[in-house]
Amino acid sequence: MNSYGNTMPKSGSSSSYLPVPLLIERVARLTEKERLFKLSANGRAFTFDPGQFFMAGLPGYGEAPFSIASGSGKAAEADGSFELCIKAVGNLTNAIHRLKKGDTLWVRGPFGRGFDVNGSSPLRGMKGRDILFIAGGIGIVPMRGLIKTILGDRESFGALTLVYGFKDPEGILFAGEMEDWKASGMAALLTVDKPAPGLSPLKGWKGHVGVVTTVIPGLEINPSKTVAVIIGPPVMYRFAIKSLWDKNIARDDIYLSLERRMKCGVGKCGHCQIGGIYACQEGPVFKLSELKDMPDAL
Amino acid sequence: MADKYLKKEALEKLIAAVSSSGGCFIAPTTDARQVVFKSVEKAADITHDYVLARNSYKEFVFPQTEVVATFAVRQHGIGLTGKEVAPKETVIFGARPCEAASLSSLRAVFTWDFIDEFYTKREDRTIVMTVACTTGDEACFCTTVGLSPESTAGSDVYLKETADNGYLVQAISEKGKAFVEKYAAVFEEQAGAKTKKLFMPEKIKGIDLAKITGRLKNTGHYDEPVWAELTRKCIGCGACTYVCPTCHCFDMVDEGTAYEGERRKNWDSCQYDSFTLHASGHNPRDTQFKRWRNRFMCKFSIYPDKFASKGCVGCGRCVRVCPVRLDITEVMEELSK
Repeated sequence: MNSYGNTMPKSGSSSSYLPVPLLIERVARLTEKERLFKLSANGRAFTFDPGQFFMAGLPGYGEAPFSIASGSGKAAEADGSFELCIKAVGNLTNAIHRLKKGDTLWVRGPFGRGFDVNGSSPLRGMKGRDILFIAGGIGIVPMRGLIKTILGDRESFGALTLVYGFKDPEGILFAGEMEDWKASGMAALLTVDKPAPGLSPLKGWKGHVGVVTTVIPGLEINPSKTVAVIIGPPVMYRFAIKSLWDKNIARDDIYLSLERRMKCGVGKCGHCQIGGIYACQEGPVFKLSELKDMPDAL
Repeated sequence: MADKYLKKEALEKLIAAVSSSGGCFIAPTTDARQVVFKSVEKAADITHDYVLARNSYKEFVFPQTEVVATFAVRQHGIGLTGKEVAPKETVIFGARPCEAASLSSLRAVFTWDFIDEFYTKREDRTIVMTVACTTGDEACFCTTVGLSPESTAGSDVYLKETADNGYLVQAISEKGKAFVEKYAAVFEEQAGAKTKKLFMPEKIKGIDLAKITGRLKNTGHYDEPVWAELTRKCIGCGACTYVCPTCHCFDMVDEGTAYEGERRKNWDSCQYDSFTLHASGHNPRDTQFKRWRNRFMCKFSIYPDKFASKGCVGCGRCVRVCPVRLDITEVMEELSK
């Protein structure tokens, strides 16, 4: 029997359905809807790949999957802490938003197959290549983990370009960090769908306007050297893929992270099933070439 | 192990012996005019004249609701305690040979990657005592999916009714042999009793499983109008998934209040529109025919390909329970073309 109060258990949990309590070290308010929670590992060794996710929740409110916003490898925090970015959309996430520094968030994981930047899975093969990151909205959160991981080992990669878009200037995430990323050797192109929502203080938006896919045609890409990564809302994928095909990027060089409803996280409950694939275990990161037998994936 | 013989009157002794050793005896019994699997305390409660119990016995191995943890607000925050399952010996008497084949399919799902101990521990303590069918109805189609009343796969103990009001007893699995030995006092030596004739459902001529699987392998079928046309009348009630002995989908929900309650695994159904609904409002399976297609593919493509097991055992429960008479065999026939 495992009994957890507010302290970490010494032994592992016996059931893959049993979450562990992690201390919230910091809560950063990113926008009206999104907050970044830094969780202390409390001596527990969490190792993960970018693109993997945790089931996080609060007893009494339930659990939901959240992708990891932190880098791994050389970019991992020395104390094992990591960050989850949570958008307030429902009962659980609004309850999580009421939590403060020093409170507890209950997590299970990490689960799934992430971007295997250093390893030997079919998702390796990013090293030495130019990388084009395409993120839409909250898709920047798992992308941030990948970008930080890659920037942590900058010299192993070719040219890095990030194209990212948001609905409006008020919703822009990680604008400050973006300057650091640029300074570390990554080009970044930001676009918004609508320049001025209502009484925005950012009314004087001077940047690019239009959906993410409008930026791609103007990029200079060497298709044989480039790996493209797409993370965004479901509607974005088809258009982003098409514009990458126009640039002659092969299916094998396009990586995507798919969003699905998930309940168990361990390939049992059936919610994330796409054809014969359990996205929570065999995904959520796929190569486009792997999706050819899964017509309802996108 | 040589075949044994069990007198119907000896069921009373068997129930008593199982209960006194701390076990639980499940058998078909009549409740509100329906034959259902339920815990029974005396042999008189067992219904013998039935085709199949309306519910599948999977609920005794994979309960409709299962507490995985309890939580309560304590002085400094919330405490959560994992629940360990410590199942009793559970005897399922009167399972049919079709549904006996389903546990290996469920086990495949619950153990293919992570091990779900809530399932495995229960299944390890379950004894399936199958009674071969001497009766059937028009919904039965086990012979069409490669099973028959003579199939012993999945049964621990396989019984055939005899003309002299008893059963010919064959212990099939190791678990079944140990069971027959443990309760040896109840069983007699077999003395040449004549078994009753089994009911063989007629094989549906238009259905070819290999053709169905082959057609589902070619992803072109996704765009075919056949799905929407055949399944238009489905109202998405999910009854088929609840009575199905191989359907395994579940939800994880916190029940109670924010102060005290349980985290539970509850049966869910891929036929519900909320099953795949994202927080953003996007739904990958946004229409009923896509959900129906998913269930059909799960039975005839995913289970056989991914888990090398049967997704459909031909028990016909989904056909009997469907409120709009959407018959899976009609779709199977269409997909066999």
